[in-house]
Amino acid sequence: MIGPTGILVALIVLTMVLTVVLIVRPSITAGATGKVLAFVALCILPALCIGGGMSTQMQRSEQTRFCISCHSMENHGKSLYVDDPSYIPAQHFQNHRVPPDKACYSCHADYTIYGPLKDKFQGIKRLYMQYVSTPPKTFQIPGGYSNLQCLHCHAGARKFEENPVHAAMMDSLKTNEMSCLSSGCHDTVHNVTQLGNVKMWRPGQ
Amino acid sequence: MKDRTIGIQRFLKISSGLIILGLLTEIVSLLWFHPLSFVLFAFVSATLIGLGILVYLASLVFAVALPSGNRE
Repeated sequence: MIGPTGILVALIVLTMVLTVVLIVRPSITAGATGKVLAFVALCILPALCIGGGMSTQMQRSEQTRFCISCHSMENHGKSLYVDDPSYIPAQHFQNHRVPPDKACYSCHADYTIYGPLKDKFQGIKRLYMQYVSTPPKTFQIPGGYSNLQCLHCHAGARKFEENPVHAAMMDSLKTNEMSCLSSGCHDTVHNVTQLGNVKMWRPGQ
Repeated sequence: MKDRTIGIQRFLKISSGLIILGLLTEIVSLLWFHPLSFVLFAFVSATLIGLGILVYLASLVFAVALPSGNRE
């Protein structure tokens, strides 16, 4: 079965073949058919290749293994396997409360390339620090972690809404005045500095 | 008029070259599963392909219709 990437590769190869024809025999563009061929090969198909490539790259960047392929993110990936239900990312990942293959993106959907322009530049800055300067030892999300990332799943969920603690502060949670993570309620997140001191979960064992 | 035709053909060759280079780097970015492959695509492939399209569109602007006897 040919997937979207296979179709994109076929499109790229077709574009390259037609473009090579135009390099070898540019005189064919003198005729009407040749002009149409040149327009398709040098304008329509390359534009489709850019669109298809961008779509494929964006889909790939949502994958967990894409995020943790960066050396700085390795420990964040390991923290998903901590055998302790108080670790929020680990319990979401291990119990499939988020799709395991898109675990990072599910809770950080407003981060770097997925966020507004300011976040996109932040992402480029991270890449610069990773490969040119020195990456920081701990990562901080500028402006803190937004409750909206939790609420896009939990808002409206019966267990969440009927919890008396949540119900009492619902407005503060929805307006981000009180953080789900840093208000003392769900404050054990990736905690990567403690990874050496915790038991790890090994799937299938 | 002949010089003009050669100029348009040169435009097409430059455009084709840029697009082929961009497509080759796009294939590399598809085969390489790494955050840098995204950067390679966004900053190199898309730029080269986009430039190729622009050069082709520029050739359309500067092109003049040749008399049918002079087309080759």
